[in-house]
Amino acid sequence: MSFPKKHPAHRHLRRLTKLKRKHYHPLIHKIHKEHNISKKTLFYVKEYGPHSNVPRTILKESIRILMFASLISSFGGLAIENIKSLFIAIVPLVIMLPVLNDMIGDYGTIISSRFSTLLHEGRIKRDWWKNMELRRLFIQVVSISLLTTLLSSALSLSISAITGYAVNQGIILKIVTVATLDVLVLVCVLFLVAVLAGIYFFNKGEDPNNFLIPITTSIADFGNMIVLSLLVMLLF
Amino acid sequence: MGLFGKDAREILVSQMVLISIGIVTGTILAMSTDKILLVPGMLILLPGFLEMRGNISGSFASRLSSGLFLGVVKPDKYRTKIVKGNLIASFLLVLAVALILGIIAFLINLFMFGIFSTRIIAIPLIAGMIANAIEIPLTLFMTFYFFRKGHDPNNIIGPFVSTSGDITSIVAMLIALVIV
Repeated sequence: MSFPKKHPAHRHLRRLTKLKRKHYHPLIHKIHKEHNISKKTLFYVKEYGPHSNVPRTILKESIRILMFASLISSFGGLAIENIKSLFIAIVPLVIMLPVLNDMIGDYGTIISSRFSTLLHEGRIKRDWWKNMELRRLFIQVVSISLLTTLLSSALSLSISAITGYAVNQGIILKIVTVATLDVLVLVCVLFLVAVLAGIYFFNKGEDPNNFLIPITTSIADFGNMIVLSLLVMLLF
Repeated sequence: MGLFGKDAREILVSQMVLISIGIVTGTILAMSTDKILLVPGMLILLPGFLEMRGNISGSFASRLSSGLFLGVVKPDKYRTKIVKGNLIASFLLVLAVALILGIIAFLINLFMFGIFSTRIIAIPLIAGMIANAIEIPLTLFMTFYFFRKGHDPNNIIGPFVSTSGDITSIVAMLIALVIV
């Protein structure tokens, strides 16, 4: 944002960057009304403007949530560590592990970043469950996740068969069931968490981008390990 | 816009790429289970280490995307204060998180399995530095590239970062295992 020095908006924007980060200041509303600069731009200027220390702001906002995410992920890893010998014997699942982890995490990232954008653009109202764009996003993510899960199951089973792993009808059914249930359950949980946490952090005056992605990806990671471990113990 | 419009196609295409590369990563993992599992507690470390890339680079790309859409970040200018600040923060965050992951795995090893091994702290730190040097600049260039090409980086960069991050992370971890 650059305005000539004598322009009233220039003076207002300089004041805005000096505000304490957590304070919602009437100045935001004033600049928005007087100069027709969108609130999302003003929010960004306040967070990462010329007088703010960008790395410090990001580190301060992100480090705690990332520590939490690391802790959660490690406990997820502990669940797999406990069934290490059983899990490693199921080659198609070992091959699928990074795909499942990434895929569920990615859906978390997509839901989080798209929902953050909707929040910044002011398109989410109090009755968010009636929002058509949000419903559309949910149907999109669920449909695509089902399709990609089936495809990745087919690929991992094919590679396992090529490398000499005994693939029969029973194994195919079990692998597809484990993968599909795992993805479906977690996508629904992630969607709910992203929406509720997104609204909470946005209302607190924080940038949901810095919180939602670590939260949803660590839930995806932890949840994936737990649900996968449970399904493996149940079906194998 | 229809239910399965441009957005859905972008997600689907990026997921197809993710699956292909992810399966390659999984095959590398399945082939190197004996090496990775030699160090006790590696499975405790692995999910967090793989996830770290998505968490840090994903947020990095998401912040840049928001800035690009708002016009605060210009798609042809890399040397601005916001971009530099984001780069420094992402580098520092990776080092901090890798250290935390190592310490958690070390403590779980010590208190739950009675194993004292400081290697588990050094491995994520070294692997994090190797993966960082590739992944963070790559995320920056790809976010700007997709934006310039008229795509929404929010739909593409998440899968891209976690997929490329998985391969870099697994390879970096194998290198770190050799170094330590």
